[in-house]
Amino acid sequence: MALPRILRTTSFRFAALYVLLFAASALVLGLVVFVVAREAMLGQMRARIEAEAALLTREYHQDGLAGLAVTVTHRGRGAGALDYRLQDAAGRRLAGEIPAIGAQRGWFDMTIDETHREAARPERLRVHASTLGDGAVLAIGDDLARVSEVQEAILRAFAAAIGATILLGAAGGLLLSRAFLSRVDAIVRTAEAIIDGDLSRRVQLGGTGDDLDHLAATLNRMLDRIAALMESLKQVSADIAHDLRTPLSRLLQRLEEVRGGPATLGAYETAIEAAAAEAMGLLDTFAALLRIAQVEGGERRASFSALDLSQIAETVAEAFLPAVEDERHVLRTEITQGIGLRGDKELLSQALANLIENALRHTPAGTQIHLSLCRDAAGQAVLCVADDGPGVPAEERSRVLQRFYRCEQSRSSAGNGLGLSLVAAIAELHDARLTLEDAAPGLRVVLVFPAPGAPPTFN
Amino acid sequence: MKILVIEDDKESAAYIARGLTEHGHVVDRAETGRDGLFHAGDGGYDVLIVDRMLPGIDGLGLVRTLRASGVKTPVLFLTALGGVGDRVQGLEAGGDDYLVKPFAFAELLARLNALARRPPLQEVQTLFRVADLEMDVLRRAVSRAGRRIELQPREFSLLEFLLRHAGRVVTRTMLLEGVWDFHFDPRTNIVETHMSRLRAKLNEGGLPNLIATLRGAGYMIHTEE
Repeated sequence: MALPRILRTTSFRFAALYVLLFAASALVLGLVVFVVAREAMLGQMRARIEAEAALLTREYHQDGLAGLAVTVTHRGRGAGALDYRLQDAAGRRLAGEIPAIGAQRGWFDMTIDETHREAARPERLRVHASTLGDGAVLAIGDDLARVSEVQEAILRAFAAAIGATILLGAAGGLLLSRAFLSRVDAIVRTAEAIIDGDLSRRVQLGGTGDDLDHLAATLNRMLDRIAALMESLKQVSADIAHDLRTPLSRLLQRLEEVRGGPATLGAYETAIEAAAAEAMGLLDTFAALLRIAQVEGGERRASFSALDLSQIAETVAEAFLPAVEDERHVLRTEITQGIGLRGDKELLSQALANLIENALRHTPAGTQIHLSLCRDAAGQAVLCVADDGPGVPAEERSRVLQRFYRCEQSRSSAGNGLGLSLVAAIAELHDARLTLEDAAPGLRVVLVFPAPGAPPTFN
Repeated sequence: MKILVIEDDKESAAYIARGLTEHGHVVDRAETGRDGLFHAGDGGYDVLIVDRMLPGIDGLGLVRTLRASGVKTPVLFLTALGGVGDRVQGLEAGGDDYLVKPFAFAELLARLNALARRPPLQEVQTLFRVADLEMDVLRRAVSRAGRRIELQPREFSLLEFLLRHAGRVVTRTMLLEGVWDFHFDPRTNIVETHMSRLRAKLNEGGLPNLIATLRGAGYMIHTEE
């Protein structure tokens, strides 16, 4: 069964549920009031009849049957009076309007037949009959309609209240649902705009900080992330188109040269060697690009584990020490022991290796490379690779993190311009802040990892 | 060695088969996972080379099935997927080694040899002797011609790795993975520089060199026989 959309919203369902619960509790309350009121009224009626019976019995003892008949006739007049019957031992009516009663004594209810009815006489009575002596019987009754009138009034009041509750609840539910739907529709419209290709659209926040706002903010963060990924994908394609063209044309050139030129065996060998080296270089670049893309994709976060960053730093430094010495550089380390964090050991090793390699490759012999790791006052792990080489000019510092960017002075040296891009991607994966500073002289690359237990940042 | 190559790309399979045949191995080929499972199940092979992505049953499923049915033939995964997760998956599925495409043929050969002669787990060797070189892994002691040589911990691991693979070629990548646990390729000559220091210590006093460099392939300690 297809309900209108507004009736299927969560807020309407909640409203409906609350209305039902409220109506049910009102109903129970009504029933309790109904029963208690009925008992109270019947009790009152009984007390009144008993008091009347006591009074009339005394009257009988004082004035005899005839006197009682006069009193009864007298008391039976007037609005709100009780109903009576006084009969003698033979069952003949002496006074009162209640038609003949049988052998019943004590409390009973009776209905007055049509034939016995007189004007304005009640239909149902609660009657108390007692024998006075020498067979005379006095019956006093009261109109049960009095009780049922009050009962009906109670029922009407509660029915009205429950009806109003249901109406107000449904109306409130509908209003709430409409507000809810309009906001959901806004989210849907945004999503549809994005599906249609407008990736810059974001969900409007209501500004109340409620759960829908929370959801919208999360959606927006997700969209930002997707947009960033799309951007990086576009960037990679553009990079590949732009920067792989050069080595590919160089490869083609070399092959064309030997195809056209004098074909000595040596020339072929040289050309094949060069082509193979060029192809290897291309594959390396591809691998590096894919790795950056994979790291930026963030899926490796799933395999994060607790690791000892100090140990990683020691291992990498120790691995590079002989190579650094062979290049006549100096590597000094200052590593605080036991600095741990959650991360990807392989990627962190590679990031550190890239930083040391950069410091090694882009500086002259005699340069000092300083690797340090410590915790700052805020408990953040600070990893720092500094050199006292020529450094990077301030205006170039942000650009060296871009893919394929190479400083003018390093164009001639080996490398594909992807090392620092990978470090940047690895830093971001670990929520670490990467900064390039002037070490005066030289370059200092600083990685600040968030303190353990710090809330993760989303950006 | 008798080797089964399970690879759906005909050109790659032919290239691998040709190269292995030239090096004196007997090679069979299978192009689908199902086919590979059928042949490998017979167990007559010394090593299986399995591509990760195969039509039908993929490489991981194939190796899991083989291991579940008790086939213990060493498996080398070949793959274009080089992420650390992929590598771990491969090893968890029951693979013994993992090689990412593209690879140098020497690397494949070295790894196959390392796999085929991998000793059973229970007998881990702790004493090595090659020519006049002795290593006691438990006492962390190395001596050459009876004279004790002090090695740095990493140099010790490097020598131990070479000795455990004595008589077989050990590639640069195998050393990076096995000694440093580096699963990436640094552009710096880390292995070469450490190797030259290790050699210098071992050869001190003009003793003959024991660690051979095989150009384009890697390193090897020759056994006497």
